Amino acid sequence: MNYSDLTRRYFETAVNAGVLTGPGTFRGAAGSRAQGTWVQFDIQVGCGIIQAARFLAFACPHTIAVCAWTTEKAIGGPARAVLPESAQALSERFAVPVEKLGRLLIVEDAWAAAVAAAAAPAGA
Amino acid sequence: MPVYLDHAATTPVDPRVAARMAQCLAEDGAFGNPGSASHDYGDAARAVVEEARAQVAAAVGALAAEVVWTSGATEANNLAIFGVAQYYRDHGRHIVTARTEHSAVLDPCRELERRGWRVTYLAPDRSGIIDPEQVAAALRADTVLVSIMHVNNEIGVIQDVAAMSAICARHGGARLHVDAAQSVGKCGLDFGRLGADLMTLSAHKVYGPKGVGALLVSRRGVPLSALQFGGGQERGLRAGTVATHQVAGMGAAFALAVAEPDNERIALLRDRLWQGLAALGGVVRNGDAGRSVPQLLNVSFEDVEGESLLAAVRPHLAVSTGSACTSALQEPSYVLRALGRNERLCESSLRFGLGRGTRERDIDTAVAVVGRAVSHLRKVGGA
Repeated sequence: MNYSDLTRRYFETAVNAGVLTGPGTFRGAAGSRAQGTWVQFDIQVGCGIIQAARFLAFACPHTIAVCAWTTEKAIGGPARAVLPESAQALSERFAVPVEKLGRLLIVEDAWAAAVAAAAAPAGA
Repeated sequence: MPVYLDHAATTPVDPRVAARMAQCLAEDGAFGNPGSASHDYGDAARAVVEEARAQVAAAVGALAAEVVWTSGATEANNLAIFGVAQYYRDHGRHIVTARTEHSAVLDPCRELERRGWRVTYLAPDRSGIIDPEQVAAALRADTVLVSIMHVNNEIGVIQDVAAMSAICARHGGARLHVDAAQSVGKCGLDFGRLGADLMTLSAHKVYGPKGVGALLVSRRGVPLSALQFGGGQERGLRAGTVATHQVAGMGAAFALAVAEPDNERIALLRDRLWQGLAALGGVVRNGDAGRSVPQLLNVSFEDVEGESLLAAVRPHLAVSTGSACTSALQEPSYVLRALGRNERLCESSLRFGLGRGTRERDIDTAVAVVGRAVSHLRKVGGA
């Protein structure tokens, strides 16, 4: 399979791969390793703004690239449950084949879960 | 260019083979129709064809008269399977094969199933070996053909086809076809001693040209129905003008494979590769290490996504993969699944095919590249 330059760059560098710990850190995950795609996001939120973001992904190059790009774009912005771009726009930006669009929904679900965890009342 | 480690898929044509082929193409060469008996041009081409036939036969312990030229291993497999099935259709319609055969055997068998034949697909053990007793147990009164490959194209294991041949001989009615496309130059291959009735050969796996192969048909007499008609060439089994330059190339390639064995050197390289990869940890070797050809090493990497693994190594290495998203068939390797590997391990497999051009530095590059990729992807995946 051929990948766009953007996909290959974010896949190879995997910027922001890793985990966050400590106060104000929230985690969301989606997918399954056994099914071939699993994504986890950690976000650190202060005053409604994402201070830091990390991801882990057992996934194809397109998914890893989208995760890396998402964390990069999200930092400094408001903690919203939607990705910086729609799955459709991301598929075009990263030239994701149509048969892989479901994987972008896993990214979206993991991101939404992390933001939901941040929005949930403490102790909920 | 990336380091080429996909010799099980195909090999570059040896320059001496290419030179031999070129001698058959132009006006000053043996360009005549080998079927033309009325002039010297035809005689010259026929002499080249028969010399090649003798070279191929000598390389695999066969008689020249047992060699039937084909366009490659796929056609040879089709001729063997459909040819036997068609000829013996009134005697029986049962075939025995293995789940780990090449698709050039499995697809003809599936087509015969659609036409009313019954096919038994033997399951290998976890190391890829078919016990000959499985063949014995699968034979029925109406079995007309057993088709088992000699060397598996994905994992390199060598099947005991001599024992299977003896079993088929005792049965009496079952003919044994052996796909030996991956065998020549990689392990001992003696058609006469193995006792098979039919054997498939390929040129391009042995530094010969693509587009030519052969089916060995035992002198003991294996009636086959031809699949194509229009000239009666190759004893009526394969109509069409013999491609002189192609068969000359195959003959030269087979002669070189026997004259210049390279297995000991390649076995050392294969062992070096395996040791380097095994040191990464979480690496599963696919196939029986004690019964494999040295040119093939198939490994799966735990906690690594298959497509990403190939994407990471592809700029540096030319290897094959079991990844679903990159194979032409869009499904994980059925060979590895037959060995009981789970889907993730099937997809994270890499097949390394070593060859004449492979050097120690290539192996070290492969170990370094795969090591970087596996470490990176395990880190990204949180393993």
